[in-house]
Amino acid sequence: MDSGRGFGRGGGRGGGRGGGDRGGRGGGRGGFSCIQKRGAAAGGRGTRGGRGDRGRGRGGGRGGRGGKAGVKGGSKVIIEPHRHPGVFVARGKEDLLVTKNLVSGESVYGEKRISVEGPDGTKTEYRVWNPFRSKLAAGILGGVDHIYIAPGKKVLYLGAASGTTVSHVADIVGPEGVVYAVEFSHRSGRDLINVAKKRTNVIPIIEDARHPQKYRMLMNMVDVIFADVAQPDQARIIALNAHHFLKNNGNIVISIKANCIDSTVEAATVFAREVKKLQEERIKPLEQLTLEPYERDHALVIGRYIRAQEDK
Amino acid sequence: MSSLRNAVHRRNHKERAQPRSRQRYGLLEKHKDYVLRAKDYHAKQNRLKNMREKAYFRNPDEFYFKMINSKTKEGVHVIERNSAFSGDMIKLLKSQDLNYVKTQRNLGNKKIEKIQNEIHFIDSDLVQNDMEVDEELSKEKNELKQPQHIIFFDSKKEAKKFDPAKYFDTLPELINRKFNRPRIKTLESDIMIPDDEELQILHQNKILKYQDLKARIKRQRQLEKAEQELQTQKNLMGKGRRVKIGVDANGLSIYRWKNDRKK
Repeated sequence: MDSGRGFGRGGGRGGGRGGGDRGGRGGGRGGFSCIQKRGAAAGGRGTRGGRGDRGRGRGGGRGGRGGKAGVKGGSKVIIEPHRHPGVFVARGKEDLLVTKNLVSGESVYGEKRISVEGPDGTKTEYRVWNPFRSKLAAGILGGVDHIYIAPGKKVLYLGAASGTTVSHVADIVGPEGVVYAVEFSHRSGRDLINVAKKRTNVIPIIEDARHPQKYRMLMNMVDVIFADVAQPDQARIIALNAHHFLKNNGNIVISIKANCIDSTVEAATVFAREVKKLQEERIKPLEQLTLEPYERDHALVIGRYIRAQEDK
Repeated sequence: MSSLRNAVHRRNHKERAQPRSRQRYGLLEKHKDYVLRAKDYHAKQNRLKNMREKAYFRNPDEFYFKMINSKTKEGVHVIERNSAFSGDMIKLLKSQDLNYVKTQRNLGNKKIEKIQNEIHFIDSDLVQNDMEVDEELSKEKNELKQPQHIIFFDSKKEAKKFDPAKYFDTLPELINRKFNRPRIKTLESDIMIPDDEELQILHQNKILKYQDLKARIKRQRQLEKAEQELQTQKNLMGKGRRVKIGVDANGLSIYRWKNDRKK
């Protein structure tokens, strides 16, 4: 089914613009505030359906139909399964990283959707995952060995912001998996809750990740922790959560923004220090990948949490 | 009596027209036209006369600053352009320029973001190799940081034995396909690499897109530079003591303003 090629929904010209990305960014892109992830500040508007068409005021005649999102002009799209299960690459006029849409027919933050017809005539919808907005996506395209987030896995997502990446993680883990999305800011938490309304496998937790005991009642043990908290003490935060909720030999995927940890030293040094800190917290590093060209001075570190040494 | 006379129908006055034989001279000149023409002519004659007189009675020993400030260029007197505007006027013009540059830069940013949303830099190395790389671009490429992938091992022995194809569980020829290195198991079970012919056509499109993006990013940098320079000029026209403290990476001067107490 996946290898089938078909025709993308001809959304007509301009179809792709309908998604209402307006205001979806704004927020923290400037790069000085470490706490606020991009999209956090103004993200709310992107998710509200009704305003999607705003961008079109001018140039009236274009894209006659409503906000149907699709790759332009009915172009041919070939879906290629990715190394990581649940992730795909759509190859066509544009090469895009995509995930299978859990809630067919709806965009979360104004991203494009691609509908592909399989050989047996069934239609599958995919959502485009932008590596410039998601560090996990950037890591995947950068070629990490394992993301450990796969269908059926339980994921604890720290620093969920408005839930853009969370929605893709939810797509990957599928209906059998669960994503516990922790976000401290109420403002972006509101958007996160909206995401969770549509995706039943997302459990939004509006709490400070520094105090895992506050949300321990909501949680089960998880297979993977993904953290994008961008705090100077993020290693401690992650370790604390790992001690509480992560299975033995569970995995940790961390995005590190060098500027937020220490802006006075070189990025590579910051990454090395963070890895060292993780090692002290019984997290064994497996790989580290910097996220150029998508982000500057960011790295994705993947590790394994070893709670108890096996007897040898 | 006179009012009665006015009430009687009178013949309409008809203006005399230029005879057809003299049509080539244009409209027939009337007295009032002649008066205007003559006035203009005499004004010009008087001005010339005055100037001749002034030149005749000129004191060769007298000094005016204009003598050294104004110049002729190949026999033509040229006025310096800036002197035609007041300082406020120039400030206004500059600010308008600045706003224009700002708008263009914002537009450019949006365009770049849009293109980036479309291409995701998948296969970007492949595409870049196929692009015509001029010297400047290749220099830029070297400047760009390449992503760095570190894999941790327990011992040096393990690290020495490292074989990327084996580690990533894929075929050796797919190791450089960073964006997707399929596992051998998936390769066996799925036919997934689409045929080359179709990709070849798409590949050409991609090259165009990358070139477009590259050009836009380059232009964006120039606009940023221009905006910065205009802003500096605008600031320099304002008040306050300032010192030039150096030159930035782009070769634009940097100023520092003295902290003056504003009463």
